[in-house]
Amino acid sequence: MFGIVVAFVLTAGVHGTALAQAKFRIGYAVPLTGTFGRDGNLVKDAYAFWKDLVNAKGGIYVKGKRFPVELIFLDDKSIAAENAKLTERLITKDRVDLILGGFGSDSVFAGSAVAEKYKYPMVSGAASSNKLFERGFKYYFSTLGKATEEVRGCVDIAQILSPRPKTGVILGSDVLFTALACEGYKKYAEQNGIEILHFELFPITLQDYNSMLLKVKQKNPDVLFVGSHLMVAMKMIQAMKEIDFTPKMVTFSYGPTVPDFIKNLGRDAEYVVAASEWAPNLPYKDALFGTAREFNDNYFKKYGRYPDYVEAASAAGVYAMQVAIEKLGIVPPLKQADRVKLMEELHKQDLMTFYGVVKFGPDGANEAHPPVAVQIQNGKLINVFPKEAAEATPWYPMKPWKERQ
Amino acid sequence: MLLFLQSLLNGLLLGGIYAAYSAGFSLIFGVMGVVNLFHGEMVMLGAFITYFGFTLFGIDPFLTLPFSIVFLFIFGYMVQRLIINRVVESPPMISYILTFGIHLIVAYSALWAWTADFRTVTTSYSGVNANVYGVIIPYARLATFGIALCVVMGLYLFLYRSEMGRAIRATAQDKEIARLKGVNIHHIYAVTFGIGAAITGMAGSLISTYFIIFPQMGLPYTILAFCIVVLGGMGYVPGALWGGLILGVIQSVTATYLNAGLSGALTFILLFVMLIVRPAGIAGKGIIE
Amino acid sequence: MKQKPFLATITAGSILLLLLPQVSTVAGVSEYMIRFLAIIFLWIGKTGCWNIVAGYTGYIDFGAVAYFGIGSYVTALLMTKADLPFLLSMLMSGLVSGLIALPIGLPTLRLKGVYFGIATLAFAEAMKQIVLEFDQTARLQFFEGPHGITLPIGPGNEFFYYAGFVIMMVILGINSWIERSKFGYGLKAIRESELTAELSGVDTLRLKMKAYAISAFFLGVIGSLEAYWLTYITPHMVFDVLITIQMVVMALLGGMGTVLGPAVGAAFLTLLYELLYKDFPYTYGIIVGVIVVVAVLLMPRGIVGTLKQKSKCKMNRQTHT
Repeated sequence: MFGIVVAFVLTAGVHGTALAQAKFRIGYAVPLTGTFGRDGNLVKDAYAFWKDLVNAKGGIYVKGKRFPVELIFLDDKSIAAENAKLTERLITKDRVDLILGGFGSDSVFAGSAVAEKYKYPMVSGAASSNKLFERGFKYYFSTLGKATEEVRGCVDIAQILSPRPKTGVILGSDVLFTALACEGYKKYAEQNGIEILHFELFPITLQDYNSMLLKVKQKNPDVLFVGSHLMVAMKMIQAMKEIDFTPKMVTFSYGPTVPDFIKNLGRDAEYVVAASEWAPNLPYKDALFGTAREFNDNYFKKYGRYPDYVEAASAAGVYAMQVAIEKLGIVPPLKQADRVKLMEELHKQDLMTFYGVVKFGPDGANEAHPPVAVQIQNGKLINVFPKEAAEATPWYPMKPWKERQ
Repeated sequence: MLLFLQSLLNGLLLGGIYAAYSAGFSLIFGVMGVVNLFHGEMVMLGAFITYFGFTLFGIDPFLTLPFSIVFLFIFGYMVQRLIINRVVESPPMISYILTFGIHLIVAYSALWAWTADFRTVTTSYSGVNANVYGVIIPYARLATFGIALCVVMGLYLFLYRSEMGRAIRATAQDKEIARLKGVNIHHIYAVTFGIGAAITGMAGSLISTYFIIFPQMGLPYTILAFCIVVLGGMGYVPGALWGGLILGVIQSVTATYLNAGLSGALTFILLFVMLIVRPAGIAGKGIIE
Repeated sequence: MKQKPFLATITAGSILLLLLPQVSTVAGVSEYMIRFLAIIFLWIGKTGCWNIVAGYTGYIDFGAVAYFGIGSYVTALLMTKADLPFLLSMLMSGLVSGLIALPIGLPTLRLKGVYFGIATLAFAEAMKQIVLEFDQTARLQFFEGPHGITLPIGPGNEFFYYAGFVIMMVILGINSWIERSKFGYGLKAIRESELTAELSGVDTLRLKMKAYAISAFFLGVIGSLEAYWLTYITPHMVFDVLITIQMVVMALLGGMGTVLGPAVGAAFLTLLYELLYKDFPYTYGIIVGVIVVVAVLLMPRGIVGTLKQKSKCKMNRQTHT
């Protein structure tokens, strides 16, 4: 009797461990609280969306078998040092197979340094500061382009506006991503012959924008370029309305593509232009998510809101990793040699996804990415630039607040 | 010239907002010597009461004020009576940590219940403004300014003319004598805290009409209230008005003529200098230990 | 507390900790554990620094992170712009922080109670804003503001483990020395009653300044070390008021004005976070808040302080029977 119990326990144990091994365990550290708590939750939702789709089919398909995915995530509280610590924990204590990127350049910067040390390829879709790509890292990949390039669409759009904007003001919050976005605005403004009347970085903790905007209003620029995250973008519109400032166009590096923006600001969000790296009307598709439009609609079905481009980029990033795994035929639990091969495969990859082409350059940045500009028209985000991909012509100039009914 | 007037006006309106949410902090410190580190959370709660009143029941934000006043009064009274009361006699360090612990509980409970989403209270009159000879005056902020003035004045009158007010001041000055005279110290402290909380909650409700609200918004408000009250004189309620107005104007003018980043640095440099040169605040009526 | 067994435990514990990284692979201790312990060492160090001023003199400092940040930036700037080696930069970080503490301490240490707290807070926040805005305002490229500074890649976690351990022991040693020296006696007299101390002829300002400068020096050193470890700093990261707040909470939970208090508090709170945040990503804040409130109400002297008090009572009872 005792022997039977022992045998049963042993086989159950072996079976149990065998079962435990037949999974891909993927970890990531992301802000769920703190300054970027809202934004970090979007990334978490995107990864979960991918996981559910993959697991619905049984898992990642390698060498004729399906291996389900388990996602392990931790809150980095929007603190970079915390992200580094958590990434190390996921790798050395939880012994995950793979690592994904979190949100925000500072945190991803810290976490990716740890991933590089342990030779874990990290794919991220939510951080784009140029510095991330200037470290000579081999294991860092981003489906987003560089921050200074991301805003290109918002400035180049001037080429199809009439009358063409001649002057601009650049404002941005004093964190890395937004400061770089402002550098990008400056570079492309010069190329497009737009004179920059004022350039200012303001504290991200600034409570009241009205007085700062007064100065801008007085200079009367054609365009206001803002380096922003969601909260800054919302506050900027509120402040512009309060002091009755309507330039011919206002554009944000990030914020308007998150549904909260339109939901909270309602009519005040109309005419706003934003940088994007993806729009649902683009002619992209892949085997997992379908077309861009299908991704958009399925996301809405699951979460009750449309995805913003960071969510799309994050989902595309983990999908790129999945495709590379399937091609290499590596099975969990992964060994370091597997991950090194994965890194090499990712560098070679040239993949079409619902998000567009994913092709990582030697520095890890996504090479094939045309920055798109979207505009809020009738409560929806509409792709307005470049012309070839646009769904509609841009509304220009912006209607003053008092004239909007 | 117009630019300067506009900037000045912005600063005054901002000062009114500052005064509105700092007066309660000053009162609580003045009477009980407690530096309330969950002050910002009371602003946040008031703002969320208005948010839910508006989005769920369609009540106009200004009409939600009575709700936030009553709710925050009860909240403040209970927290003081049940928890903070135990440490009023202890060294100040204890009250810092205690109120900080309450800050964590309230802020993270709100985060858990309401998620990190950013919310706004956007009414038909949000951002709407009057244009007076070229100077733009946003209505919602003007209303806050007006209400802040009334509150500060009202509080002042209450403290000096009403019986309860006198009891509060007596307790603040010397609680032993007040106790001998038959004043129920614990009740007085709780009422004071309740009033401070109510005013702060009301300010939060007003603020929700033009600032973005989210569960973790509180800490910066606490820090700024601390600064404003020190500028105006700790424990001297009208000082919250003076401190607020002066800070508001300085920040506004700096942001308009120099840059907004400097307005932040200047706020703290100014505060630092004030403390060294005149710790009793601008009007010189603050309580120094 | 009996001296000999206590010292023996400390020595044994230290040897264990020192050997840990060497035997880590054999003992099944993960790299993460090394990192985790190093983090605890550094928090003990930071809290210990804070304790030197707040615990012994009773002056509650809300701006301690300023020196941490200054230390971080001094090392970052020296290593990137002057190509100085790390150890020298670390020393400079400590010195610069300690020197800056003098003109700041002089006027602020005359303030009482909460005014000292808010003045130091104002100083820390002002430092953050200055480092952020300097480049833009002065049209130079020096602090790099929001872009932050990237330090050269340093050694692995082991280096920081040992460095952290050494710094922690030094700071605990200083706390211990303060506990028993004349200097410490003077500080404690200030905490008990500054007026009486002054009347007895104690130069309170000089004593306070000395404590403040020592604390600043070591905070600068720790700031330097952490900057090198993380390899990237921005003003938001290294002048974050939350760092000061954590020091305060740790000191209070452990017991202010004691030698082991900061160590116990730092270890306790770090462990608490570690146990909670994986399973309670949104609610760990609530749990920590509840623990803080309960701890303050039941044990206002902190864990170590309450234990000390209990043993004193016990001793008193024993001598009286």
